[in-house]
Amino acid sequence: MNRVTVVFRESFVGGEVSERTHLLVDPVSNNTNIQRVQSDDFIGCYSTSLPKKTDEQSALNRILQETATNVIDVAASDSHNLEQHEYLDRVKHYTQKLQSMSRWTPPRRPPCLLVDIPAPEKLLAAEPLTEQDLHLITTAIEEADAALVELRVEHKEDLVVPFRIP
Amino acid sequence: MERSIIKCLDNISEVASVRGCLLADEQGLCLGVRGGISPQSSGVITALSQQAGLLEPHSTKHPVVILENDFRQCYIHGNGKVVTAIQKTAAS
Repeated sequence: MNRVTVVFRESFVGGEVSERTHLLVDPVSNNTNIQRVQSDDFIGCYSTSLPKKTDEQSALNRILQETATNVIDVAASDSHNLEQHEYLDRVKHYTQKLQSMSRWTPPRRPPCLLVDIPAPEKLLAAEPLTEQDLHLITTAIEEADAALVELRVEHKEDLVVPFRIP
Repeated sequence: MERSIIKCLDNISEVASVRGCLLADEQGLCLGVRGGISPQSSGVITALSQQAGLLEPHSTKHPVVILENDFRQCYIHGNGKVVTAIQKTAAS
């Protein structure tokens, strides 16, 4: 029975070459431990797909390579250390910029319509219409409505008059 | 033929502190005026009332527009068919 051991990644132990050494070198990280999966289980499940073993292997390799190029290992990347003089230079530069900003005023907007009223909030908060006035205007409109219905032409005399010219 | 309109206008102007009143129809035609309001302002008054109603198109109530300064107030109210403007001295 053929047996293929699929090894994903492992920390490099010694220099001996065996069936367990990596087929691909991992260029990104050396400190991730991933479980080994014995391919006996795979072979048992996919016994009908044995002729595609090389395809599987190449597919796995391709996946490995893609992951290796796409994974960004933050822990292993080099930190950018600022030197002391560089740091002081930057502090000076930034404080200088901030000081020049203190004279900044917000852009002048066009004046709003209520500029002539000293206390617009008092005016706007005051009650606009008393109950009495509201009652007055609503009754007025009701009466006017009724009056409009009664508006009609009263026929007093004929509009068309024949001239009796002998 | 306009007896009831005249009666309505008289009723309004008899109220204390009312300086004038105006009735206009929905197209701005002045139906009657009393007191200090000019009849030529009926068009503007109707337009004001209609434009104010556009602020809340789905409301069932009609708005009352109030124009005021330090000593006078004018209330404009319309109900779609007729517009009333009442000018009053400002309440102290």
